[in-house]
Amino acid sequence: MTWREMSQRWDPWMVAAALALAAYGGLIIYSASLSTFPDGVTGLDHPVVKQGMAVALGLILMVTVMAVPHRVLALAAPVLYGLALVLLVVVLLVGQASLGAKRWLDLGLVQVQVSEMAKLATVLVLARFFSQRWREMGRAGNLLLSLGLAVVPALLVMVEPDLGTAIIFSVVWAVMALIGGARPSHVGLVVALAVLSIPLTVAVALADYQRERLALFFNPNLDPLGGGFNILQAEIGIGAGGLWGRGLFQGTQTQLDFLQAASTDYAFAVLGEELGLMGALLLLALYAFLLFRLIRAAALAHDLFARLLVTGVAVMLLVQVFINIGVNLRLLPVTGIPLPLVSQGGTSTVMTMVALGIAQGVLLRRAPFNL
Amino acid sequence: MSISPRPLARPSPSPASTPPRPPAGPLTFLLLRALVIVLFAVLMGQLIRLQVVEGERFRRLAEINALRQEAVAPARGLIYDRYGRPLVYNEPYYQAAVVPGDLPKGREGEVLEGLAQLIGISRQEIEARLKETAGRQNPYLPVVVADGLSREVALKLKEREGELPGARLLVTAIRRYPLGHDAAHLLGYVGPITAEELNEIGDKGYTLHDWLGKTGTEMSYEDTLRGTPGRRLTEVDALGHPRRLVAEDPPHHGMNLVLTIDARLQREVAAALRKATSGVAAAVVMDVHTGDILALASLPSFDPNSLSHPQLLGQASELLTHPGKPLLNHALGEAYAPGSVFKPIVAAAALQEGVATPATMFVSHGYIAVAHAYDPRALQVLRDWDLLGPMDLGKALALASHVYFYRLAGGEDGAGGLGPEKLARYARGFGLGSPTGIELPGEAEGLVPDPVWKERVLKDRWSAVDTLRMGAGGGYLQVTPLQMAVATAAIANGGHLLKPRLVLEVIDHQGKVVRHIPRQVRGEVPVGQDALAVVRQAMATAVSQGVAHQAQVPGLSVAGLATVQGPGEVAHGWFVGFAPADDPRVAVVVFLRDGTGPQAAQVASRIFQAWWEGHP
Repeated sequence: MTWREMSQRWDPWMVAAALALAAYGGLIIYSASLSTFPDGVTGLDHPVVKQGMAVALGLILMVTVMAVPHRVLALAAPVLYGLALVLLVVVLLVGQASLGAKRWLDLGLVQVQVSEMAKLATVLVLARFFSQRWREMGRAGNLLLSLGLAVVPALLVMVEPDLGTAIIFSVVWAVMALIGGARPSHVGLVVALAVLSIPLTVAVALADYQRERLALFFNPNLDPLGGGFNILQAEIGIGAGGLWGRGLFQGTQTQLDFLQAASTDYAFAVLGEELGLMGALLLLALYAFLLFRLIRAAALAHDLFARLLVTGVAVMLLVQVFINIGVNLRLLPVTGIPLPLVSQGGTSTVMTMVALGIAQGVLLRRAPFNL
Repeated sequence: MSISPRPLARPSPSPASTPPRPPAGPLTFLLLRALVIVLFAVLMGQLIRLQVVEGERFRRLAEINALRQEAVAPARGLIYDRYGRPLVYNEPYYQAAVVPGDLPKGREGEVLEGLAQLIGISRQEIEARLKETAGRQNPYLPVVVADGLSREVALKLKEREGELPGARLLVTAIRRYPLGHDAAHLLGYVGPITAEELNEIGDKGYTLHDWLGKTGTEMSYEDTLRGTPGRRLTEVDALGHPRRLVAEDPPHHGMNLVLTIDARLQREVAAALRKATSGVAAAVVMDVHTGDILALASLPSFDPNSLSHPQLLGQASELLTHPGKPLLNHALGEAYAPGSVFKPIVAAAALQEGVATPATMFVSHGYIAVAHAYDPRALQVLRDWDLLGPMDLGKALALASHVYFYRLAGGEDGAGGLGPEKLARYARGFGLGSPTGIELPGEAEGLVPDPVWKERVLKDRWSAVDTLRMGAGGGYLQVTPLQMAVATAAIANGGHLLKPRLVLEVIDHQGKVVRHIPRQVRGEVPVGQDALAVVRQAMATAVSQGVAHQAQVPGLSVAGLATVQGPGEVAHGWFVGFAPADDPRVAVVVFLRDGTGPQAAQVASRIFQAWWEGHP
């Protein structure tokens, strides 16, 4: 492949959208950190600097991953998936706890959120599974095998506990199974069973804090002093933003510290308060654009594995964006998952960039399409 | 496991018969795009509902910061004496505060003026206080502008909070110590947390505005007394007045303590000490069977009422530089040479080891001469406090003869005595040289010297003179009055080395006993009952006709020993003893740093008398 061919094939718009989102996120993180860092960026420990370093590392890895042919990715998928499962177990054993959940693996210099890696590894392994067996996906046994591939990491993540990420696994599986040849009625049945089993799960499998969070969503006034307080404050903040917002760095909910986790899970609330409906719509537009470029890449992919892979990445991003913003807007129960590329979180940012790198690699190697 | 997919290269099924539908066609991606649009439309709908339709309402709520979360302080636990008399209680304390964010725009001056008139300070003063925090803290947090309001002013302010938006009455509590100076070291005091303390304590939920116990029981029982703060979430109206209590997480009040102290006796002990000296002094009264501390006093003292008062902070630093170290509890915080009051332990050791019998006779010619450590031809002379003549062991103890105990420790011509190792072993056996374990902060270990110690710390060889001096309670030996009380109680109770008990019960604010602290025995002293009986008898003689006769109390048989000073000899004034002599119930130790043994015995007499009046 010549440089000329490559430059014609890769998607600069996708990268531009990602960088625009990261820059937008940097602005929000800066604003959300003002009460802790009133003097702005003065050292390497400022969240914006940390986030910037994650973006830079993400860019490097993105280019690296672009160079890997996806046949190699398909071969490596089971290994990466197995490794991710091992790390998920390790994090349960020796992980760093935060807010009652063990999610981080301390690697000395950096702390890694293993579930972010597991998400991408699962997408890889599902793409391989469906691309090999799409002709036989009508069989219930194959469908259940693929379900197992998603459920094992989902369960490991759920006991961390991280309910939001576990839900992402399930949704990604459902969409990839549908595209990968499974009968819609089968997938529908599994989803229906899962939904029906929710009351049972709530009663048996959920940690107390998760049950509380769920109850809080339906009635935040139950515990307005704990988690419910933040939901109410986020809602007040976003609502008060109005059409044009209260001005960057001017949001009282954010700047007077009424809002907790403002630079991470509640970054959208900061945006909504300070930049209003217009700022929020701009963010949604950027995400929509990025997602459309990803779907385009999936449609252009030259084999089923690549198609499924890029589709999985797109769905993963879509679900994360929807859940995170949905929580901020009180449409969904509180689950702590990041807003990709925007909220503060190194592992999430890096892994999102890596996922985009995979999509770019697929674009580079698109041949005249013939299945 | 079901997770490993089959190998990549597997024969594809024959495409001949029914070619399966190739998945992921153009329709798929159309549906995916539609999904993006639908989900985002949902988000946009909710955004518009919150920001446009209800935007006005939310903006109003945000502008007045309608949701206010505030901590609700728990009531700190009270402290009672063993008979339920209050030793520490809480008193309401009123402060006037201003919430800058709630001051009505354009009418700030009016409100501040009204508040100033009400509480009787100038408006400039209030404005100065507000300026200190302006821009540096959340404007919805109250800023205290006047402290220590009277009850009348506080009530008036409460009434007028409605007319003065932004002005608030804050009610907190301060600690009161009815015994004042008399139990200062025992109870301690409370004060604002320092940055270092906050660092040290870590995540127990303290903030920089919290107060905590600084010393004494207030400090050692901080966790029990403190309780856990609650929280309250209120929705306020535009004037900052609470409109609705959204939620409340009530505080858990601190637990109350019942101490082993007898408040009346504590007062008497402190008074007796004060009457005897203006210098450094301490006294301990202990129940010999339970280890209960009935009274524990130290001089010079301080007033915990003023140290714990928000308007009188800064006095502590004054006390820190006072030469008598008033903040130090001299009953346990510093160790001193015991002198003759160590002799009962030496006597017990000598009897136990067979170095002496009750009938062993020595003659005191008023001095003893020993070969000098470095020059065997030279002689070193150690004096007795008087020319006491021939004595058996009982008489020697009753007269506190130095020479007799030099002999017990060193023998004759360096042979037949206890020797330094055994002296040290018995001293430690009676609890000297290690903390007693009382639940008060800052306890000193004291020092029981031996040849190894001297070699290691002083880089010098142990000499025969060191042994002799230690036998008479001198030399390097250092003990605290509390250690002597424990040792004396052990002699009196038949050899049980008790851990001093200070807290009897922890009770909750409804009066229910949460925890009962049992009597704790640390061990048994290494001395048989016969030897202890001989020592008790000799101590009774010391009071009835010996060196501690000043400790006599009409109607009560007291046993004890006091330090004696020969001409030119410098020693602290000590008395150790117990009563009744034949059926001991209480041990008393009196220490006067710059006083004499007879003075200490006199103080002890008053203490025994006070105790006897309460326990006939």
